[in-house]
Amino acid sequence: MNPQLESFRYDDAIVRKFLWATFVWGLIGMTVGLLIALQLANPAFNFGIPWLSFGRLRPLHTNAVIFAFAGNAFFTGAYYSSQRLLKARMFSDVLSKLHFYGWQLIIVCAAVTLPLGFTQAKEYAELEWPIDILIAVVWIIFAVNFFGTIAKRRERHLYVALWFYIASIVTVAILHIFNNLSIPAGPLKSYSIYAGVQDAFMQWWYGHNAVAFFLTTPFLGLMYYFLPKAADRPVFSYRLSILHFWTIVFLYIWAGPHHLHYTALPEWASTLGMIFSVMLWMPSWGGMINGLLTLRGAWRKVVEDPVLKFFVVAVTAYGMSTFEGPMLSVKSVNALAHYTDWIIAHVHTGALGWNGLLTFGMIYWLAPRLFQTKLHSQKMAEVHFWLATFGIILYVTAIYSAGLTQGLMWRAYDATGRLEYPAFIETVVRLMPMYWLRALGGSLYLSGMVLFGYNLVRTWKTRPATYDEPVIQAAALGKDYREAATAKPAGALARFTQAAWHRTWERLPVTFTVMVAVAVIVASLFEILPTFLIRSNVPTIASVKPYTPLELAGRDVYIREGCFNCHSQMIRPLRYETDRYGEYSKPGEFVYDHPFLWGSRRIGPDLAREGGKYPDLWHVRHMRQPRDISPQSIMPAYPWMLTNTLDFNGIQRKVDVMAMLGVPYGDALNNAPAMARAQADSISAAIVASGGPGDLADKEIVALVAYLQRLGRDVSAPGAVSSAGGP
Amino acid sequence: MRLSEIMSHAGLSGYAEVALVLFLIAFLLIAVSVFAPSRKREFDAASRMPLDDVHPQFPRPTSGDAS
Repeated sequence: MNPQLESFRYDDAIVRKFLWATFVWGLIGMTVGLLIALQLANPAFNFGIPWLSFGRLRPLHTNAVIFAFAGNAFFTGAYYSSQRLLKARMFSDVLSKLHFYGWQLIIVCAAVTLPLGFTQAKEYAELEWPIDILIAVVWIIFAVNFFGTIAKRRERHLYVALWFYIASIVTVAILHIFNNLSIPAGPLKSYSIYAGVQDAFMQWWYGHNAVAFFLTTPFLGLMYYFLPKAADRPVFSYRLSILHFWTIVFLYIWAGPHHLHYTALPEWASTLGMIFSVMLWMPSWGGMINGLLTLRGAWRKVVEDPVLKFFVVAVTAYGMSTFEGPMLSVKSVNALAHYTDWIIAHVHTGALGWNGLLTFGMIYWLAPRLFQTKLHSQKMAEVHFWLATFGIILYVTAIYSAGLTQGLMWRAYDATGRLEYPAFIETVVRLMPMYWLRALGGSLYLSGMVLFGYNLVRTWKTRPATYDEPVIQAAALGKDYREAATAKPAGALARFTQAAWHRTWERLPVTFTVMVAVAVIVASLFEILPTFLIRSNVPTIASVKPYTPLELAGRDVYIREGCFNCHSQMIRPLRYETDRYGEYSKPGEFVYDHPFLWGSRRIGPDLAREGGKYPDLWHVRHMRQPRDISPQSIMPAYPWMLTNTLDFNGIQRKVDVMAMLGVPYGDALNNAPAMARAQADSISAAIVASGGPGDLADKEIVALVAYLQRLGRDVSAPGAVSSAGGP
Repeated sequence: MRLSEIMSHAGLSGYAEVALVLFLIAFLLIAVSVFAPSRKREFDAASRMPLDDVHPQFPRPTSGDAS
């Protein structure tokens, strides 16, 4: 026997743990998704319970599906494939377990805090600061374990899948840390250090790249490993994978501003985001082609093997959504699609199709190997595939129709030159049949998930009493390695044209990781520095003043209830927007908005110019029961705002933190609670004078009314601040 | 002069177009480098890495030399 051979075993126990977590959280996340889909079709499905209302559950759904389901799926595949690609057991079993239990703890914290209304109000980054710190710690544990495994590997070159894992680990860490920088204002309350335009930029730099580096690159890594495994043939083109990887890493990071077309974001940033998004089409389809052509000569297997069926449709869904993404980033298309369900359909083509089906295919392939038995039922897996596929088709078709319908209705004019559907509710009622169809599609997909779980449990039940853990033998890598002369072309041109530079990077993980980090950081700085440094990006408006203490407290109620999930605060400079909502939004209006609340979907109308549109009592009645005001409204009722007592003393802390962030609070620095009470009394008196209830002066509703009545007032009435208690 | 003043006066109207051209050049360079006809055997071996859970591709154990 070769004396240099070392013996080791792969750690599959940790892979089994992540596999079960993937299923359990997927089931929960998708069930919550179905519940909120039903709430949009009929708000009675929130059962009048605060923690079941749409605004609080929507972030729970997105977080559960992205970070719990897709996250655990990534870890399942990464722990299985990395060990085998590197010919090494994970660096540390303790770190593996800490990673697993730490990640599940984060998910439990999210599942508790989000329904209770603790949120940073940033999409996919809603979790409050203590959980953010926990995420950073657990991510570092994962990184140490992963890179430690690379360090003790017995395979000289890193395979493509590992490049994608490296890019994901490095970039997610950077995105998470910089987007979540905030100042705590309580144990579960914080304010973003960025405001308005800059906060929006940072959020969508993060938000778009969360899709890129949490839902795309990790799953591309899984595709590059598990698709060849399942097809039992190598990837179509290793060369194409090099081009695919580097163009994805270079291009994705620039694309975030396409989420903010026609907003108060500077035009140059918006254009840059559009151009890089369109360029992304190229590498994305390179990846899709590489995946699909891996099956060349093996299409017969697709007919027989449900695993390959899942993979084929997953990769096709990836191709469809990465064609649609660049298309949606074109400004003229975006003007129609933005704020509508079209974006929700786009996201679900990716999430249900690409992430979901790839995960199912991977787990059906893994289950017999991990549980060392036969899959309980191939037929059941086939049925799951068709349920999921038809579920996706039904879901996205319905929601594409809803998005197009609503987008076109918003911009429709009649023959007299007036908006054809001036009442927003008209454009909502039209969507109801599509919302029920969407719920049906989601139900089909979820029923497939239940079948998946049953199949997994029955498979697991036939596992052996003890798992066989074969001993692997491989030689350690020598430290004095020198590239063979044949592998080292002479001359710079030869090294370049023979891709020798990349083959060298592939065996130098530190160099490779640094190159990835440089690509991501440099690209980010190219956009971030001008956004923060160019003064003309955010022209100041003299009449824009900080929120009063009561308005600030009301803004936090608005954030707690997740109102921004359904209402935007951003009027685009488009005629049909200004005709409907009023003067378009200016960058200078948001300089005190920590965090920004522009929103990304209009399930209800925009609120940027809501202040002064209706009397205070209208808002009270509307919040107590929206259907008393608008019988066809799908907005949840918030009767608890009329009974919950406002914590006046806690307002001082909020004002102090805002002042730390540079918001110029004058008298309010020493006197916030008293100022808030004075303004609350005056609003309460106005409500009583209009014939409303007389017991609201110390309730949350007056703070919310104060905030809503302030929206858009600073620019429409220069010099006018708020009526009472202004700073 | 402060960095913010330099950036403010730099004029970024053509920023996106310049970036587009630079990245297209970089893309073409990588494409030429990667797809030039060479090293077929080495790339074929690299693409087989996921198919063998036991034996490393680089170096292959038959060489008897780990380095």
